Amino acid sequence: MHYSIVLLLAVPIVGAIVGALLPNARSAKWWALLVSVATALVGVWMAAQFDWNQDLSAVPTSDRLARSVQIAFTPGFDSPLHLQAIQFSFSLGVDSISLWLVLMTVLLMPVSILASFTYIKERQKEFYAWMQALLAFMLGVFVARDLLLFYVCFELTLIPMFFIIGIWGGSERRYAAGKFFLFTFSGSVFTLAVVIFLGLAAGSFDLATVTQYAQYDLTDSARFWVFMGLAAGMAVKVPLFPVHTWLPLAHTEAPTAGSVILAGVLLKLGAYGLLRLAVPMGLIGPAGLMFPTVVKALAVLCIIGVIYGALVAWVQQDIKKLVAYSSVSHLGFCVLGLVALNDYGMQGSVLYMVNHGLSTGAMFLVIGMIYERYHTRDIHQLSGLAKQMPIMSFFFVFFTLSSIGLPGLNGYVSEFLTILGAFTSEHLGIGYGIAAAVGIILGAIYMLHMVARVIFGPLKVPHVHEEEGHKPLSRDLNGREITVLVPLAIAVVLLGVLPTPVLNSVLEPVRMVRQPVTAPIVGPTAQSPAEVAMVQRP
Amino acid sequence: MNTLPVAIGLPYVPDWGQLRAFAPELWLIAAIVAVLLTPFFVKKPNAACGWVALVGLLAALVSVFVVGVDGTGEHFRGLMVADPVSVFWKGLLLMFVIGIVLMWFSTTAPTMHQGDGPEFFTLLLGATLGMSLMASTSNLLMLVIAVELASLPSYVLAGFRKTHLAGAEASLKYILFGAATSSIMVYGLSMLYGLYGTLQIDGPGGLAQQIATSGGSALLWMAIFSLIVGLGFKISAVPFHFWCPDVFEGASIEVSAFLSVASKGAGLVLLMRVMMSFASAQAYESTPLLNHLAVLLGVLGAITATVGNTAAFVQRNIKRLLAYSSIAHAGYMLCIVSLLVRGPAVKADLDLASTAAQVVLFYLAVYLFMNLGAFTVAGLIERETGTERIADYAGMGRRSPLMAFCLSACLFSLVGLPPFAGFVAKVNVFWALMQNGSWWWWLVGVIGVNTVLSLYYYVRVIKVMYLDDSSSAPIWPHPLGAGVAVVCAAILVFMLIAFGPINRLAGHYSHFYGVDQTTFTAEFSSSQPPP
Repeated sequence: MHYSIVLLLAVPIVGAIVGALLPNARSAKWWALLVSVATALVGVWMAAQFDWNQDLSAVPTSDRLARSVQIAFTPGFDSPLHLQAIQFSFSLGVDSISLWLVLMTVLLMPVSILASFTYIKERQKEFYAWMQALLAFMLGVFVARDLLLFYVCFELTLIPMFFIIGIWGGSERRYAAGKFFLFTFSGSVFTLAVVIFLGLAAGSFDLATVTQYAQYDLTDSARFWVFMGLAAGMAVKVPLFPVHTWLPLAHTEAPTAGSVILAGVLLKLGAYGLLRLAVPMGLIGPAGLMFPTVVKALAVLCIIGVIYGALVAWVQQDIKKLVAYSSVSHLGFCVLGLVALNDYGMQGSVLYMVNHGLSTGAMFLVIGMIYERYHTRDIHQLSGLAKQMPIMSFFFVFFTLSSIGLPGLNGYVSEFLTILGAFTSEHLGIGYGIAAAVGIILGAIYMLHMVARVIFGPLKVPHVHEEEGHKPLSRDLNGREITVLVPLAIAVVLLGVLPTPVLNSVLEPVRMVRQPVTAPIVGPTAQSPAEVAMVQRP
Repeated sequence: MNTLPVAIGLPYVPDWGQLRAFAPELWLIAAIVAVLLTPFFVKKPNAACGWVALVGLLAALVSVFVVGVDGTGEHFRGLMVADPVSVFWKGLLLMFVIGIVLMWFSTTAPTMHQGDGPEFFTLLLGATLGMSLMASTSNLLMLVIAVELASLPSYVLAGFRKTHLAGAEASLKYILFGAATSSIMVYGLSMLYGLYGTLQIDGPGGLAQQIATSGGSALLWMAIFSLIVGLGFKISAVPFHFWCPDVFEGASIEVSAFLSVASKGAGLVLLMRVMMSFASAQAYESTPLLNHLAVLLGVLGAITATVGNTAAFVQRNIKRLLAYSSIAHAGYMLCIVSLLVRGPAVKADLDLASTAAQVVLFYLAVYLFMNLGAFTVAGLIERETGTERIADYAGMGRRSPLMAFCLSACLFSLVGLPPFAGFVAKVNVFWALMQNGSWWWWLVGVIGVNTVLSLYYYVRVIKVMYLDDSSSAPIWPHPLGAGVAVVCAAILVFMLIAFGPINRLAGHYSHFYGVDQTTFTAEFSSSQPPP
């Protein structure tokens, strides 16, 4: 029984409750920073506990998926955390895929809280409490080893985000918040139906049990509906092409920290859900219904997202909206790699989730810093900022290049791998690869177009009236803002020059998620697989 | 066979054991008498009557716990039954009415005309008595009396704000609808008596058994329809729901809250009992009668939920919005009741009927607190600001953070979002429908779509409270009412955490007397680990 993983959820939840009760805004923000840093330390502690070189070659393939889960917390049958009535269990655990996403989340949260110190001026206590609650729920999605718990956390992320967009967002925040909530919830209600059906049919909500059940015992029509239900929830969250319309609005209207978390983590929940549920259940893959039509259809949606997102981004006037549309494009790559269903593509896809979180998160942070100074994000009103803000310009160009995929920075590796995956995939092939590669070129065009307009050229900034009662920010980035960006920059460089630890560690898990287990199981397992894995670890 | 003369013709003295099973009702009657006597001793009787009613209700609630399921059986020569379901419902009802009285103290009490208190509480307790009797009868005559005892005081309560024009209109509308539907119901029930010569629904030689052996007829269907009309009015199932929004809007807020839960709940429990008797007499065989009944109830539920949710879209008044929301929730529960009348269709080892009863009871328990909390907050805000318009809730997150939080919790719970008990209630509904599969999948779809629809209008209220700003002054709600609202919100979270035990409790209490119900199979409710 590992309690570090319980601590990972408990720290931000307790932090949120305590933070909401603190007497003043100043203490609330430092408290939030403290809590998020503490959560990050718990995350690092987990990474230190994690056995990165787990050798599963001696384990029969049917058990590998379950055994790859480490740092497990599995309540016993008599524990109040285990509800026999509906076979729910508060069981947690991570494999290397989840752990990398956890690490990315705990890195993004402190920096976005630190970045909000001057951006959020009203109702600060509430803001920081919601941020901490959001942190707990996001981590809950990544560490859940129970399908119902996964869904509950998945759904719970909506409420904090709704308030964060709706209260502290831009001028159209109410509309954006409502649209965000409605779109995501509409999709996930059907996921809920599927989750309950699977739990009921498999006799347990345990993820490994449900997965094995879904592989073998579903009828074809049940498979179809399960796939549709899961796809409905995840596709909206990713978002894939026809249901992406909530995203640009929500990203643009959200406050900086909200955009960072939204782009950095919440979008990953959809891709992670596909990877964690749909693929291992065999719904996307050779064993799936209507293979390879379904996979090809998903890939086509991804390609449309890549190209369409890039083209729309190109013509945006608002730089934040431009980055928001770039997310539509980038997530297309991410899911494309996933549905390539080979080592390159899926490793690339996992890496892409982490990389996109870092670079796009950083882009939103920098844009937020520009906005705090000039109160505009209009590409026509800003020009030549390099002359006035050299440090900011350095970071802006740096993260832009990372986002475009400059070799040596993180984006390159994952973009390359996802496209390589599409090229070498048995069922996608060269056409998909070429189409995606066009997306990369377009990505370079719109990003560099923006950089050229905003950073370089003759200096042009709007005249800003100083707000009363607030100390004006320094002209270039101040120490706090540099502190916000440096950790992300370091991570970007590290993952750019040394991606192998990530790639190697996720190789086994991505193989396991797409390999069907060899033997069907009969009934719920006596001991939770996660527990078995833990006992047998050296 | 001919029980009518027997039941009323011979001298009959019930013994202590029989009376004991109905101690809660006796306490209620005692409380009614005490309330009527109060004005003779107190000069300003309103608040005093409130306290007397509260004490009576508490005594009744305690007696529910003390007596428990001991008195299970038929009493008063078959006129009444006591069984776990009725005990569970009485417990819920009394808890709820206590909440209503507390709500009255914090909302309407100061403005009520001095001297009206005794009447108000007599009517409230009388309706409560009727609603608890509704849950414990399987005799047609008693059924009619109970329904009327619940209805007649409700009509008056709806129009109790005498100077209020909308109240008078509401009351008139309510009474016209009520009179029409209950006369149809009585007409149908008289047909049943004419057909089978007995007033007893279950038991040997009862209606249910005779129907099972003799099969259906056109006249029987007419009788069943008219029964559904009568109970559909109480449940506010579409198309008998038209009174609901107007009455909720016109009546004072604690009466609206009272009707939203108590009236519907009592109707549902009674409907469940009747349907359960039918199903049990047919031995849960999949007979045409039961199949048709199941489809009828399922379709009724689906339509009710959809109409409720779509009509709530355009509401600008919080009470009307909650009225339509309560119609929608009645629809969800009707969908589950449709499971009752068909037996273990798909999984032979599972007692679906019990499961369905359990799900409805759990849903009612959750629904009670969601609605009580929401109405309490609406009442407190109305008292402080004099408005029921949703648009006037702007900035409530700042003006009264506690109230806004409690209302949000209740509304999120009504949508069915975690971390509130509405989520598990809805999971339960999905779970039970899926267990049966076949055409119930359509109901799963309908409820799914409806949940999305409902999200829109519930969240709109939350949006107004938190996202719209207003310069209006902060408000300080009455502490008692605020306490009720906070307790409701806390219970909703608690019921999610303690879902397992509470669900098991509902399971233990989901048994009807005289109905051949096996206990739960290990698959659904046992606490033993799988082998």
